[in-house]
Amino acid sequence: MRTDPGTLALVSLLLPLASFFVLAIVAPFRRLGRPAAYFSVLCATGAFAAAVMAWLAQGESTIPTLHLWEWLPGQGKSLATVGVLVDPDSTVMLMLVTLVALLVQVYSLGYLHEEPPKGLGRYYTYQSLFAFSMMGLVLSPNLLQLFMCWELVGLCSYLLIGFWYPKPEAARAAVKAFWTTKLGDVGFLIGIVLLWRSAGTFDLTELHAMVQSSTLPLAGLSIITFCIYLGAAGKSAQFPFHVWLPDAMEGPTPVSALIHAATMVTAGVYLLHRTSWLFALTPDVLLIVAWVGAFTALLAAVLACVQDDIKRVLAYSTVSQLGYMMAAIGAGFSAAGFFHLLTHGLFKALLFLGAGAVIHAVGTNDISKMGGLARKMPITAIVFLIGTLSLAGIPFFGGYLSKEEILGAMWAGGLPGPFAVLMLVAFLTAFYMFRVVFLAFYGPSHVAASHGELVMTTPPDEGKIVHDQPGPHSSHLHDPPASMLLPLLTLAALAMFVGIYSTLIGPLLPAEAAEHAAPGWLTPSAVGVAVVGILLAWLTYQRRTINPESLASAFGPIRTAALAKFWVDDAFIFVYERVLLTFARVVGWTDRYIVDGVLNMVSAWTLTAGDDLRTIQTGKAQDYVYGVAVGVLALILWMKLS
Amino acid sequence: MTGEAVAFYALSAMLVVSALAVVLSKNLFHAVLWLALALTGTAGIFLLLDAEFLAAVQLLLYAGGVVTIVVFAIVVTERLVGETITQTNRRIAGGALVCGALLWLLITTVLERPLATERPIMPDDLTKAIGESVLTRFVLPFELLAVLMLAALLGAIYFARPEE
Amino acid sequence: MGLQPFLVLSSALFCIGLFGVITRRNTIGILLGIELMLNSVNINLVAFSRFNGSVAGMVFTVFTISITVAEMALGLAIVILLFRVRRTAMADHLDLLKG
Repeated sequence: MRTDPGTLALVSLLLPLASFFVLAIVAPFRRLGRPAAYFSVLCATGAFAAAVMAWLAQGESTIPTLHLWEWLPGQGKSLATVGVLVDPDSTVMLMLVTLVALLVQVYSLGYLHEEPPKGLGRYYTYQSLFAFSMMGLVLSPNLLQLFMCWELVGLCSYLLIGFWYPKPEAARAAVKAFWTTKLGDVGFLIGIVLLWRSAGTFDLTELHAMVQSSTLPLAGLSIITFCIYLGAAGKSAQFPFHVWLPDAMEGPTPVSALIHAATMVTAGVYLLHRTSWLFALTPDVLLIVAWVGAFTALLAAVLACVQDDIKRVLAYSTVSQLGYMMAAIGAGFSAAGFFHLLTHGLFKALLFLGAGAVIHAVGTNDISKMGGLARKMPITAIVFLIGTLSLAGIPFFGGYLSKEEILGAMWAGGLPGPFAVLMLVAFLTAFYMFRVVFLAFYGPSHVAASHGELVMTTPPDEGKIVHDQPGPHSSHLHDPPASMLLPLLTLAALAMFVGIYSTLIGPLLPAEAAEHAAPGWLTPSAVGVAVVGILLAWLTYQRRTINPESLASAFGPIRTAALAKFWVDDAFIFVYERVLLTFARVVGWTDRYIVDGVLNMVSAWTLTAGDDLRTIQTGKAQDYVYGVAVGVLALILWMKLS
Repeated sequence: MTGEAVAFYALSAMLVVSALAVVLSKNLFHAVLWLALALTGTAGIFLLLDAEFLAAVQLLLYAGGVVTIVVFAIVVTERLVGETITQTNRRIAGGALVCGALLWLLITTVLERPLATERPIMPDDLTKAIGESVLTRFVLPFELLAVLMLAALLGAIYFARPEE
Repeated sequence: MGLQPFLVLSSALFCIGLFGVITRRNTIGILLGIELMLNSVNINLVAFSRFNGSVAGMVFTVFTISITVAEMALGLAIVILLFRVRRTAMADHLDLLKG
């Protein structure tokens, strides 16, 4: 085996593509279901192994390895290239993507065991394509390839969110995700084109070199970076584009894990991290990024506090954590955001897969219909708790150091406002996550006694169709089968490892070493607010010292607003129904009656004129002679007079 | 006024009158007879221009040949010789206007140009000169003309063949 | 006697012939008009030939006369054929090309 990291990354990239092509083209094989799934898992395993080897081969070296092929030939040099750019960031990210993709695929073997073979084959086809597009995005050496993979990722998430397309909510959520991200993508595309016009290249390395030698024209750069940020905000669910992410929960839970942890939403953060040297030139845009990130984090955290759907809580927490990463990038410390992206990828995948195990067993997403699950599903409860502690940023757990770094970055970046917001969000995060833990895993059970009838008598919650509904067998609550448990344990172990390593020794990856000195009081206070949040949740939902209702009424207006999702969706609907539809009607009317009217009138005139003109063709030879005579006469007259 | 001029104007008057009669005569048969007169007058004009050979050809081919076949055609196509149905169409006023205007324009153009008034010396025997030119300088058009005549002959035979 | 009188005469004959071509209903009448027009052209050719001192115009008159005769023979053949097929010789009845 060659040790060139570029080749290894290429192998890693092409394996899922091969899997996709085989599954997509060889329809009989795809329709077999299970064998197709095993094939896809095999390819994902290979991809992960290659990614790990690429990372090891890259090692400490920060010199990027480039493998480029000319794609669009241009004058002098090619207009665009395709290939892979391997450097420490992309190898780490590649490893995360392949790892989560692999674990999700393994997990899905258990989670989707009731799916008919045809559907299962389709699922794994999409999964392979999804993995390939995300890896292509991660390894992109230029913005054009990155954009294409970006769109492929969007397409795949559309396909997977709408995997159960007979369900109207799923189809609607898929379209919503597609259009909302597309809104940002338009900005991204405009940004790329503008950047190309001013810099003359799509290539990231060349652009970086231009920035370093200060040869990049600065005029209009703010617009360019803002446009690129729009794309990232769409993908990474920043306010006001966050509306698609909670709805994306309509897809199968493993898909949610994949979208939230390793692909799709992380693409935006990754993009900003990749182009952070570009954004560094436009501090005004960075300020927007930071504030929007902090605001998104707060908004989503508040929304998460009032949700009863376990997956929606996790979805809003993802939005919130993405806000964290964006805020760090906005503060100018993109490495901190990227570090959090990696650790978040691990524990969010863990949380989603854990939630999937719970849903699989209980048959509902509603945490008020769970409770006391820790006794029935001890392993699931433990791994879920590990994920929750990681998310809350408790020492020795995965998210501890990265969260610290972001808060430190905000402080060091001179942004006390967003810093305060993010501290508040840290408190809220701990609170809402432990609310889920206490309601679902501890306390009195609302499941065990009535679960059997619940499935049969109560209509499935939130319009769940049979696919997401466990069969009768799941009335026996127990930990999930091995294919689901293995990924959970792997992720939990990794989260723990990262947490312990980073707490005791320091940052795991040299590239993510702290770029700033955090004040000494930061760690105690950050951990402190998290502990306070946990305590509050414990008192409210476990000990019942504080009545949840009175707590709710204390924050009445905010709660009402949060239940209405702060009317962001309503604002979108208003803009769509009132403004866009009215505009569309006006345009439609203009097109139908004015543009078409003019054209129809011209064509009608032409027809009439033709009808009238043909009468001069009498068919009589003499009339033509007469015409010739008149013509000759006119000609002579003209010659005489001129 | 010389005798030549007298002859020219007399011939011209005859030509114009007979030409008008050709186009206006209600009886087609009469029109053909008027045409014969006009063609003969033209032969006279040729004589005035020292082209005796052409005058002879004019008389032989036109007044002799063409008029004869036209008479045959009339006999074949008109059911009643001497029939007096309308022989002109609705273009009569417009046609007169256009042709009149054209004539006026042509005549004014001719009259305002300085044109030759003296006849240059030409060989005494113009017929011989024409014959030599035809077989030397204009031999190619002459041969082409022969082909054309052959084609016309074949065409006429084809058209006139009995119905099958 | 200069060239002008001949040209004026020839113009007059030409226009009369054209008038005949335009107004005659009978196809044979139209052919007669054409004869008149060609005749005027012949006068033109001979007159120019004589006043330019070149024999070429006269040679061409020979040619045009021959061509005219050929045209006349074919034209009349067509008229007879038309009459056979359509039972008419009137030009304004022949409007199959009407648009």
